[in-house]
This record gives sequence, C-alpha cells and structure tokens, in this order.
Amino acid sequence: MGLFEIIKTANHNLFRNKVRTFLTILAIFVGSFTIVLNVAINAGVNSFIDKQTASLGGDDYIMITSSGAVGMMNSMMSTSSEPTEYNPNQTLSAMNKEQLDKLGKIDGLNPDDFYIAKQIPVEYITSKETDKKYNITVGAMPPGEFNIATTAGTLPSQDTKEYEITLEPGYPKALGFGSDEDAIGKTVTLVMLDTMTNKPIEFKAKVVGVQAPGVVAVNGSIISRALEDAMYEEGTKYYPAEQKELVYAIQTRFDNSKYTEDEIKAKLKEAGFVGLTVSDMMGMIRTFFDVIMIVFTIFGGIALLAASIGIINTLLMSVEERTREIGLDKALGMSSGRIFLEFAVEAIALGFWGSAFGVLVAIIIGNITNTLVHAPGGFLEALPTFNLFEFTPANVIPIILIVMFIAFLAGTAPAWKAAHKNPIDALRYE
Amino acid sequence: MEKVIEVKNLVKVYGKRSAAFTALKHLNLDIYKGESVAIIGKSGSGKSTLMHLLALLDKPTSGTIEINGVDSTKLRARKLNQLRNQSFGFVFQQFFMNPNDTVLENVMLPLKIAGVRRKKRKELATKALHTVGLEERLKFKANDLSGGQKQRVCIARALVNDPSIIFADEPTGNLDSTTGDKIIKLLFDANKKGTTLIIVTHDEDLAKLCDRQVRIMDGEIVEDTGAKSQKSSKKPNSQSKNAKTSMSNAKPAKKGAKK
Repeated sequence: MGLFEIIKTANHNLFRNKVRTFLTILAIFVGSFTIVLNVAINAGVNSFIDKQTASLGGDDYIMITSSGAVGMMNSMMSTSSEPTEYNPNQTLSAMNKEQLDKLGKIDGLNPDDFYIAKQIPVEYITSKETDKKYNITVGAMPPGEFNIATTAGTLPSQDTKEYEITLEPGYPKALGFGSDEDAIGKTVTLVMLDTMTNKPIEFKAKVVGVQAPGVVAVNGSIISRALEDAMYEEGTKYYPAEQKELVYAIQTRFDNSKYTEDEIKAKLKEAGFVGLTVSDMMGMIRTFFDVIMIVFTIFGGIALLAASIGIINTLLMSVEERTREIGLDKALGMSSGRIFLEFAVEAIALGFWGSAFGVLVAIIIGNITNTLVHAPGGFLEALPTFNLFEFTPANVIPIILIVMFIAFLAGTAPAWKAAHKNPIDALRYE
Repeated sequence: MEKVIEVKNLVKVYGKRSAAFTALKHLNLDIYKGESVAIIGKSGSGKSTLMHLLALLDKPTSGTIEINGVDSTKLRARKLNQLRNQSFGFVFQQFFMNPNDTVLENVMLPLKIAGVRRKKRKELATKALHTVGLEERLKFKANDLSGGQKQRVCIARALVNDPSIIFADEPTGNLDSTTGDKIIKLLFDANKKGTTLIIVTHDEDLAKLCDRQVRIMDGEIVEDTGAKSQKSSKKPNSQSKNAKTSMSNAKPAKKGAKK
C-alpha cells in the first residue's frame, strides 16, 4: 500500500464513526481557530506598527537632543516638590555649533545627514473656499526614507523649489475642498504673524497630497523644504545671528549595520546627548500587543492540549472497536509498522481537518471583522491602513503543520497499542 | 511428494512457572502438497493452538515448523508477514469480515496488504468471487449478506492470492448443513486444483471428507491416518490436478516421537 492509499484508508476509517470524529475535530478546531485568529491579529498589529515605524523614519532613524534638554524636561515634569540643585550642563537645552561638531564626530553618525528640526510658528491655515481658520502644525521631512501612506496624491518632493504641502486627514474637508482627491492641486494659505508688528504674513502652498490617518503623526502636515526654509527665515528674522545657530534637535540616520540602537544611544549618552529611536516611540504599543498575544496563545494552547487528549481517547476507542479487524489485517500479513502508520495517519488526519477548518473559519471571520471595523461606525474607521487580521500562508500553514504534529504525538500511544495487538487474541472467538 | 509443512518436536507452553500450561507436547507432523488434512479434537485439545502455529500466527515455545523447506522460526517478522500473505488463505468460523466494506473490498484485502495495484486487485477479486458464485454481489456491503454468502466471500478472500495452503477453522460451524455443504464443496474444489487444505474441526463428518485425519487430545497426536493414496506418489514432480497424492511416513505419532 502506498502512502496515498494509507491516507485514503485513514480518512475512510475516521468517518466510520462520524459523530465521534466530528466532535474530536471540533475540539481541535477550537484550539486552532483561537491560535490562527491570534496569530493573524498579531500579524495585523505588527504590520501596522511596521508601517507606522516606517512613517516615523524606519529603523535607522534617530532624534538627538542634548541631555540638558531632557534634564530640563524631566525637572519640569518632576512630581517632586523638592527644589533641584543647579547644574550648568542641564540648563543648556540647545546645542551650539561646538556641540554639533562633537556630535558629527561620533562614529555611526554622518553630519551630512543631519536635519535640524525647525520650529515653524504657523498661526493658522485657510483657503479661498472657506472663511474659517484652522490651527495647524507643519514641518518638512527629515532626510531618508519615510514611508507615509497617503489617501490621495503624494508627499512634497524633497528638492522642489515650489511651496508644496501634504495635508493631514480632515483638513481637505474643513478647508472646503470636498473630498481628498478634490484638494489636490488647490492652494491653501498658511499665515504667520510678524513677531514685532503682529501683521499677518501669508504663504501660499499647493496641496500635493493628503496623508492617510495613522496612530502617530510625524510633524503634522508635511511641507516642502523650500517652504519650510522660507517660513523659518520669516519666523527668525529678528533673531540675533548667534541664536539662529542654536539647534534644539537633530533628526538623522545612524549606521544600523554597525551599531545597534542601544549601542548608538550609549555612545550618545557618553558624549552628553540623548537619542530617541522609532522603537522608543513604538515600543510601548508593541509590548502591549505582545502581552495580549502571549495570553491568547496560551488559551489556544490549552484548548489544543484538551483536543489532543480527545484525539487519544477517540483513537483508543477506535483501536478497541477494531481489534478484530486489526487481528485480521495482521493474520493476512499486514506488518505492525503499517498498522502503526495507519493509526498515526488517522491522528494526523484529525489534526489536519481540525486545523484546516479552524484556519478556514478564522479567515472568513477575520475578513468579515476587518470589513466591519472599517465600515462607518466601526472602531477602526479612522485607521483604514490598519488591517486587524492579517492572514498569510507564512502564518497559517505552520499552524496547520504544528497541529498535525501535535495530533501525531497524541496518536502514537493508540497506534502503538494497535500495532502490538496479537492477531490470535484479536481473532479468538468470544 | 514434497512436504509443504514439516513440524518437528513442536512444543507450546502458555503462561509461566506454576501457571504454565503445555498446550502442545512435542508434536511431529508432515503435511504434503495437495493433501486435505482434518485436525480433529475437542475444545481445549490443542487443535486451535496447532493451527495458529502452523499458520505462523504464533511462535512455538520450542521445535521447528518448516514451510516449503524454510524454517519459519528463523524468519524475520517481515518475511513471516509476507509468507502468510502470499502462501496462506484463511477461512474462519466467525467469517471475520469488515462489515461496512463492500464484498469486493473484503476480498481485495490480502492483495491490498500485498501492495497489488488497484486495477489488478479488482480483476483478481472479481475472479475469486466468480469462483464462489458471488460475482453479482460485489458491490454489496458485507453486512447485508447471509451467513452462507459471508463464508463464500471469505473463501473468495482466501483464494484471491492463489495460496498454496488454506487454513479453515470450523468453516461450517456457524452454518446450517445445506449451506455448509456448499462451503465444503468450494473448499474441496480448491483442494482438487492443488491447494493444500487444512481443516480444523470437531465435526467427524466433515473430517471424514478429508484425505487424512489427525486427531489431537491433550496436546498430543493420538491418531494420524496418513495419506490415503500412496499410488500417485510414483509421479514425483507432477502438478497433478488430482492432488490427493501425498505419501507419508505418517505413523500414529506418539508424544515425544523419535528424537
């Protein structure tokens, strides 16, 4: 008998006692279903977090401030009522030229990639289509790859001379453009106030895109470098030259092939700087979901454990019922190994059917849920890029294989028992 | 005439030490090709034990059983299985069929175990069912047949691999005399075509139909009529259709016989 025939026979034998087999499969189904949904939700959350990470700059992105700035922030947010002692290093919240040079010499950082985050005090945004004025935060993109999803249009190009803007979600409607698509190509007006005269200064920018909603926004609405430079120039025109040179934060890339995040942060700390990476920003969210995932995997695992006891029970009963048949098979020359294999394959088939149905139903329910949560009123309506459940062959097939393996392990005891039945005892009358 | 089975000094003990029970006591027995042998004995006489040992379903405590000149006690499990599968056919009093399988499936079982291809299996099984006159029932569930038909299916199953020996354990025990006669006829038809037939029974009438009667009591052979027709033994290698040709050194074997 070939393997195919053994599989066929095993399935045939399984469905002889349909109710019992069905109940066993149901038990395996519950365990697999739980685990598949759980893995899918984990994949969904992780891929969403990855997208967010990418939109925040990716794994090699790092924001550097002087440790003084952090120290000051800490003392501001400190709940301690005790006055803190004066420390000259901690008051220096901005970096001067000297410190920037020092920073540039740190191995793993490239001063050419330094992007100085600029504070642009925009008063409000408006357009010709509306009388209303809205608050807005704007900023250009730091260098490097930022994977920011848009619902319409694109991001401002890095090196254009044009004044361009990619709006945050919600703004197109508020500014009277109708849909996101309708906003593309329209002009919006960003207004700053002259710090001396309080006279409004207008900057006209062309809308090139609308960002997709996400959990973490980068710098508010994204403007082109040219626009940022012009607005910064306007905002700081009364500053003395020395103050213009002060830098509060550097956004840059570190060489992550050479140093890990922790290593680069340690190097920065040594030199009196503080680095903040994307995983610092995303770490909390990920940890939260990881914990949930572990808890649910344990639930699924317990269900599978119960299911394997069901498999053992089912097959033991089957071995008893088929004692005579096994005896006949052996009398007619079937080897013990073959009988073991037949029962083992039956166990594996139980595992396969249980997990395959588990996967199938999980995929159906997962996809329905994905649709429902993104429908109007669903709790993820605001996050269209967040697929709650993500099913891929890579996360589903291993589950089926693992469940089949567990089923096989559960099946070994009954299969061994069947294989060692004595044909004479089995065929003895009465 | 060639021996198909040669039993030497066969002992079978069940249990151990004080609980030990000697079921067979130093048996010697030769069975020749084409013979029909009845092993007769009361319940508990050891006849079933003997059949199980002859059919290689159990291992003797001591002594040897040679099948076609090969010492079976020295064979590995795989070879033993193969030997049973290819050389033996079994007919049991309780039929032993898989009740939910079709007649055809039941008859094909030995071939399936042997690894014969499905098409060939079907062909051979259909032929065997034709021999027992049940070719029209091959799609029936085994459970839906009468007792006599079931036993005919079992004979078809025993014949399907063209065995050299058929073991029949009380083949008519569960049947009325009319159907029993049909079954006996089928068994002897096969015997006439050259298959060695070994019937285990307590039915004296059935035993008388065989060429040779071996009577067992308390684990010993108390009577062995020997082969009937010694004349035909003069044509040694003949594959005679009328295969009642066994010549025998059979003497009423006594316990421990000659050493």
